[in-house]
Amino acid sequence: MSAAKHSQAMHFHARAGENVRNPVLQRALQKAKPLFVGKRAKGIAALADDGLEFEMLRTACEGIRNRTLADLDVWLDIFEERAITSGAEVLWARDGEEVGRLVVDIARRYGVTKATKSKSMLSEEAHLNEVLAKAGVRPVETDLGEYIVQLAGETPSHIIAPAVHKTIEEIEALFAKEHGRPVETRTSADIPDMTREAREVLRQHFLSAEMGISGANFLIAETGTAALVTNEGNGRMVTTLPKVHVVVTGIEKIVPTLEDFATLMRLLPRSATGQTISNYVSLLTGTKQPGDQDGPEKTVFILVDNGRANLLGSPYQDMLRCIRCGACMNHCPVYFSLGGHAYGWVYPGPMGSVLTPLYTGIENALDLPHASTGCNQCGSVCPVRIPLPKLMHQLREEQVERHLRPWSERLALKAWAWVAGQPVLYRWLTRRAVRYLNWLADDAGRIRIFGLAPGWTAGRDLPVASGRTFHELYKARK
Amino acid sequence: MRVALYVTCLVDLMRPSVGFASLRLLEAAGCEVIVPEAQTCCGQPAWSAGDRDLASDLARKAIAELEGYDYVVIPSGSCTDQICNVYPQLLSGDSLWGGRAQRLAERTYELTTFLADVLKVSTVPSEFDGSVTYHDSCKGLRTLGIKQQPRELLLRTPGAAIKEMADCEECCGFGGAFSVNFSEVSTRIVDRKCDSIAEAAADAVVGGDLGCLLNIEGRLRRRGDETTRVLHIAEVLAGGEES
Repeated sequence: MSAAKHSQAMHFHARAGENVRNPVLQRALQKAKPLFVGKRAKGIAALADDGLEFEMLRTACEGIRNRTLADLDVWLDIFEERAITSGAEVLWARDGEEVGRLVVDIARRYGVTKATKSKSMLSEEAHLNEVLAKAGVRPVETDLGEYIVQLAGETPSHIIAPAVHKTIEEIEALFAKEHGRPVETRTSADIPDMTREAREVLRQHFLSAEMGISGANFLIAETGTAALVTNEGNGRMVTTLPKVHVVVTGIEKIVPTLEDFATLMRLLPRSATGQTISNYVSLLTGTKQPGDQDGPEKTVFILVDNGRANLLGSPYQDMLRCIRCGACMNHCPVYFSLGGHAYGWVYPGPMGSVLTPLYTGIENALDLPHASTGCNQCGSVCPVRIPLPKLMHQLREEQVERHLRPWSERLALKAWAWVAGQPVLYRWLTRRAVRYLNWLADDAGRIRIFGLAPGWTAGRDLPVASGRTFHELYKARK
Repeated sequence: MRVALYVTCLVDLMRPSVGFASLRLLEAAGCEVIVPEAQTCCGQPAWSAGDRDLASDLARKAIAELEGYDYVVIPSGSCTDQICNVYPQLLSGDSLWGGRAQRLAERTYELTTFLADVLKVSTVPSEFDGSVTYHDSCKGLRTLGIKQQPRELLLRTPGAAIKEMADCEECCGFGGAFSVNFSEVSTRIVDRKCDSIAEAAADAVVGGDLGCLLNIEGRLRRRGDETTRVLHIAEVLAGGEES
């Protein structure tokens, strides 16, 4: 798989540790989590004001996504036909590399030297910025978070808040350096100021770019439309000012009708940022027509597979329902302990722990399906009811079936399970084990360093009991 | 009413007092309690590791030794989830065991659910005196819907005052093998839980799953908190201390 070579997911364990020990990162994450969780909770609670109910809407959204996936090829055909009718070109890309080739071709055809970009995680799958730069096209990220991340030479650490791993002090230092001015002391009160500063830089790019590249939150089959859900207005600049607009998005983003889109919009912004609706919702269809005030002369849809079609009909098909709201990571205790970069590929958090192994190879992301406490906070907030813990569990089973787990783990598990299947032997061994634990413990009944499970006592004591098992004591009592 | 008490492997090894407290609670409520002798572990560690075969072997073993009773009661949400939700799914393709798994699941209850919803107890034998803050363990809360039951029972405990902590539904970071394999991440998560516990300033933090409690107690003590007691809900409700 071509995506595998860019994945750093095999280093999850080491990077997770580094990130847990990084105080600046921890400060940024600590600040963000309650905001995400609190805003979503308010947004969901406010559904009642519109006479709506979360579980009913979830069922509706889940149903729309399932129906679409059941006939994905049909909806894609309809989309292609309607998009072409409205004047757009539709291209298909098997993987990220093909996306790069197609976009570079279009850029060459139209003499593009600069491309403005609205947020697109799929362009991260394709490493599009790198590919464009190599081909002599300057990519400029215009979503504020993406802009920050691009200036810093990093990748997004969150699918809707790309720079959530950065503190305001870090961003101020970065802006001062990149915008060529002295560093000032900034607080959150200065965010509008900093935004204005970025805007001034971006405005020049909006006006001079020959190509705009965006993703799409949804593709609407009945009208051949790309729907864009944004908050900063940059999406409109990117998709209407340049003469060429390229939409790069995954084949699973399709929904049959505008009505379906409207239903999904009840939950997407609320799940993501808690908003009833985002500041901008754009429905982009075809090219600029006579009499239109703005719009691109050329619109190209690049519809990308990159592993998605393989999930159809597989035990992982539920994952294709994902509408990229980010609620799963926003409620994930693991994500908020280490940030998104540790996950090593494009998508972090619970959805990333499922998608990364599926899109880059199960053998290339062995830790991710295990990087979960199984708490199911993700599954319980997902607006399209993706059973994320269940999918992670399926990946664990597949690792075992494909002999991808370490032999030491397999051996220990088999030995333990065998003993647990022999009650007499089990009683005898556990009686000895608790005596050993008791012998290791200090006067307060705690083990401070435990050689058999050093991971436990690295950050915790192990409280132990009296040196007798329950069954031993119970038998003696009888 | 013959009730089988499944104490769990963790209680057997790490905190027998939870098993005895559960026994006292059930007996005080008028149950004839049997502790099936051959019980070991429900197999959750094998299942979590992704090993269906080992998990199925241990599931069949547990079903065989637990199916002869009116009810099975377990002082743990995650082991109850294993029997109630995982066993039927694990053995669904097995014509002999699938139905037995389903029937056992229908008769198996987590301790506080059994006391509050099935037996509808109005009094508990406790003598607990002090304030408690309740940690909702994930499996119990999100797959079994245990939320009000332990609180109702605590309200019936004279002398126990509930002081809710912030984010009481937030995971403690235990996660079985996760706590050892990703120990730094796990410690970071339990640190946030410990912060919430410290803020609540209760005499005791109480929960329904020993794994979470060992994790929380271990971290509280390592952080230097020597005073906040960490108790299983059964220990609070049954009162007294016995091992």
